[in-house]
Amino acid sequence: METLVIQTLNGLVFSMLLFVMAAGLSLIFGQMDVINLAHGAFYLLGGYIGFTMIRQYENYWLALIIAPVIVGTIGFIIEYAILRRIYGRHHHLNQVLFTFGLALVAADLIRWNWGSYVITVAAPPQLQGQVPFLGIQFPVYRLAVITFGLTIGAILWIGIERTRIGMILRAGVSDAKLLSGFGVNIQLVFSGVFAMGTALAALAGVIGAPIHSLYPGLDFEILILTLAVVVVGGLGTLKGAFLGSLLIGMADTFGKTFLPEFALFLIFAVMASVLILRPSGLWGLRGQR
Amino acid sequence: MLILTLILALIFPFSVKTYILSLGIEVLIFAIFAMSLDLLLGYTGLPSLGHAAFFGLGAYILAYVSSNSELALGLTDNLLITLPIVILGTALSAVILGFLALRTSGVFFLMITLAFAQMLFSIAIRWSSVTGGSDGMTGVPRPTLGIGTWHLSFTDRADFYYLVLAFFCITWFLLRYIVRSPFGLALRGIHANEQRMRGLGYNTFRYKFAAFIVSGVIAGIAGMLLSQYFWHAVPHNLFWNMSGQALIMVVVGGPGTLTGPVIGATLMRLLPNFASTYTERSETLMGLVLILFVLLAPGGIFGIFHKKR
Amino acid sequence: MTKEKPAGFNRRELLQATATVAAGYTAVPLLAACSSSDARPAKIGVLLPYSGIYAVLGESITEGIRMYLDEIGNQSGGRRIEIITEDSQMMPDVAQQKARKLVEQDEVDFVAGIVSTGVLYGLRDYFDSAKKLLICANAGGNKISRELRTPYIWRTSFSNWQPNWPLGDWAYKNVAQKVFMSAPDYGAGHNMVDAFANSFQALGGQILGMQFTPFPTMGDPAPFITEIQGLDPPMVFCFYSGASAVAFVQSYGEFGLTDNIPLVCAGFTVEEDVLPAQGTAALGALSSLHWSLLIDNPINKRFTSAYKNRTGKDANVFAVQGYDTGRVIAELLIAVQGDTSDVSRMIDYLAGISFDSPRGPFNLDSQSQNPSQHIYVRRVDEVDGALHNVVIEDLGAFTDPGDNSLG
Repeated sequence: METLVIQTLNGLVFSMLLFVMAAGLSLIFGQMDVINLAHGAFYLLGGYIGFTMIRQYENYWLALIIAPVIVGTIGFIIEYAILRRIYGRHHHLNQVLFTFGLALVAADLIRWNWGSYVITVAAPPQLQGQVPFLGIQFPVYRLAVITFGLTIGAILWIGIERTRIGMILRAGVSDAKLLSGFGVNIQLVFSGVFAMGTALAALAGVIGAPIHSLYPGLDFEILILTLAVVVVGGLGTLKGAFLGSLLIGMADTFGKTFLPEFALFLIFAVMASVLILRPSGLWGLRGQR
Repeated sequence: MLILTLILALIFPFSVKTYILSLGIEVLIFAIFAMSLDLLLGYTGLPSLGHAAFFGLGAYILAYVSSNSELALGLTDNLLITLPIVILGTALSAVILGFLALRTSGVFFLMITLAFAQMLFSIAIRWSSVTGGSDGMTGVPRPTLGIGTWHLSFTDRADFYYLVLAFFCITWFLLRYIVRSPFGLALRGIHANEQRMRGLGYNTFRYKFAAFIVSGVIAGIAGMLLSQYFWHAVPHNLFWNMSGQALIMVVVGGPGTLTGPVIGATLMRLLPNFASTYTERSETLMGLVLILFVLLAPGGIFGIFHKKR
Repeated sequence: MTKEKPAGFNRRELLQATATVAAGYTAVPLLAACSSSDARPAKIGVLLPYSGIYAVLGESITEGIRMYLDEIGNQSGGRRIEIITEDSQMMPDVAQQKARKLVEQDEVDFVAGIVSTGVLYGLRDYFDSAKKLLICANAGGNKISRELRTPYIWRTSFSNWQPNWPLGDWAYKNVAQKVFMSAPDYGAGHNMVDAFANSFQALGGQILGMQFTPFPTMGDPAPFITEIQGLDPPMVFCFYSGASAVAFVQSYGEFGLTDNIPLVCAGFTVEEDVLPAQGTAALGALSSLHWSLLIDNPINKRFTSAYKNRTGKDANVFAVQGYDTGRVIAELLIAVQGDTSDVSRMIDYLAGISFDSPRGPFNLDSQSQNPSQHIYVRRVDEVDGALHNVVIEDLGAFTDPGDNSLG
């Protein structure tokens, strides 16, 4: 029985990581109708930048703030300079191709700068150690990750539901043209959203590094699961990202030990089923494109 | 021009070193794969992010039937038996996936093809008792062809090259015939404006479905040749990186032209090889090339040299 | 829509075509000539992973090879020795492409390397058909010594069976009679588990459960650690290497298992390359391997201090394997007097090669094409302020049986 509870906690840790990633991707997808295949690369970039900062300044908390800022800025520039120029009849495919190319370049540049080894990152000293829980020792850092995730979720929720900017975002998800008719600079909103999304990915990268380590290839691995979350959970809603990550995170964690051969398959089978039966996702906005 | 190329291709094994011959075989196999995707993407306008599913499926089906490893059936390496099995297997999967995926479009079509390929990938890499897991299925023999006493073996590299060349030529002429036929013109019509085609009375679903199946089967045949060439089938054949590579080949080479993807395949397979003697950053190069073409030259390399009217 | 071209060529087109063909035919041999080099130095292709979870293993083996060759002045049998390295990226198809390049374009005399069992299996058919010699410096895939044996692949490392079969016996008698097993889900993981289980169960030992983790990356190890904890076994056997070993053992410690459940493992799991990162989580871990940093023989002492001086890091078993590979290559060149043109002749000499290695007496068994060597039981202890594998017992010499009778 205790094992089940601990596994649930383990699943929750992974879910929170996925949630931060998915919130970013869902925001971009829902707002701008853009599939960002470079989202995983931003996760990895954030993690590596964080690693360098921790090694340089020995301050995890600084890395937690600076890495997302740097990556978010990069995201802003990319959207402003290039991504917005991709429009027209086949814009979905072209966005996919562009972000795919971006992901290739980013992954290789990361390899160039930080090498191809697997890099392990230590948790900050304030969060090391264990707490006794149900007869075993549960690492403090993992509890912290759960807290981080919930906190970020709360901040995002307040931001979207209760502020003016959030109102603009929510309106933009439904109808971007109408919004620009009201005098909102929709282009700036888009760039800002993209920046926010990539910053969230980088944040997830720093938080996740002590658990998953950093290595080339992790970018695609985490991207594919995040895509599954966004598809299953629903495009454009925070609730969808949250519940979707819970679903996928738990499925992945429990699947690894109970059904190692089919767990991964089931996740994608669910993803495919949702796409066919309910394309806007289980908790997504209805009436989407 | 065509005849000249054919002659060159035929004397190729005699005039180059074995290593260049290996590269030639790889280029031809991936050219078949890329052309199959072009039918789907370039002509019909269906952007698939999971075409490697059929590529890898062909590889694994062949491996399962032919390999002498204890995981596989090890029935035969005779193409007269293995080829129909590969065609049947990939056609069946294409029917299932096509039936489900073609109800969607745009973004959702992209994602569902990706999900399907990932499903197959996860089976290949985790169901190790059947597929060999991440090690893949080894012990795949080179094919033979024979009925009764008449027997051809393709174990020798030059012989295998001719086999691959034959498949390439058949695929090339077949696809050329298809795209120039009324069927092919209808596909292009659907690409241009599906609504209008439906308005004209075409059952667009049937056309897309047929294109999907043909394209999947050809990709499967390319995969079959790959596993015979490398003597193994590995999960990497199914990974979306492979789908991405095929996409790059079509887009950079020139979508909707058939020749374009062949150029793209040649570039993608040879560039990392020769570039790696000068730089380690061949992946960055590939990514940049893709980005440049997406932004500036949507007609691909072929489009640069043959300006359409 | 383009118009159809009229049939036939005009003169200009014919000239153009001929020029293109001529250019093509001169370019290709020219390109080939540029890449082929003169046959005098003995060229060795070194195919190893320099990226991914086993990258440190690749680096260590390379250091070992280079160190030995530097010691003998990079020449042997009257020929200068040159090394060409390629990254296998731990993927069988990439490795095969690189192997082809080394053998056919760079025209190496033989190839050395290979860390991962999966890659070794994927290369077996290529080397067998190309009739080129591969000296495997790590990958222990049992099949290469058994049903997939080919005269062209010889190992200077170990077979996955070798360090683990004696451990099962020892663990039953010295640690516990029940075990839970954990390994990555690929050829090597299964080999190691099977070998341990074979001798363990032969004495009556009981296996409480097994887990095979996703390979190459298992992601977050926590779910697997929790599963182990839930079953509360008296002993855990595991095999991991490189970055996976770091992740697994670190989590083992994080969740408090290091102090509560004895860890008995294949030596790679707590080898010197990963011990610094694992830290106290690895303390007390018992393991078996064909070498240890602290083996007390003069060759090992000289080797370990030379390696430390050269790289600044402690030697590890992979470096030893590389070092011995360098020696085997040198001895081989001497035996054939520098003439590497006849592969069968080289193969004949291989079985006769024997010398004193840092691991003890080294000789290649002609039946399994794998070394016969001693297996040591070690424990991770603190020695002069750092963690190392202390040898607590020498179990004697073991040779791979060459068939699947013992797991």
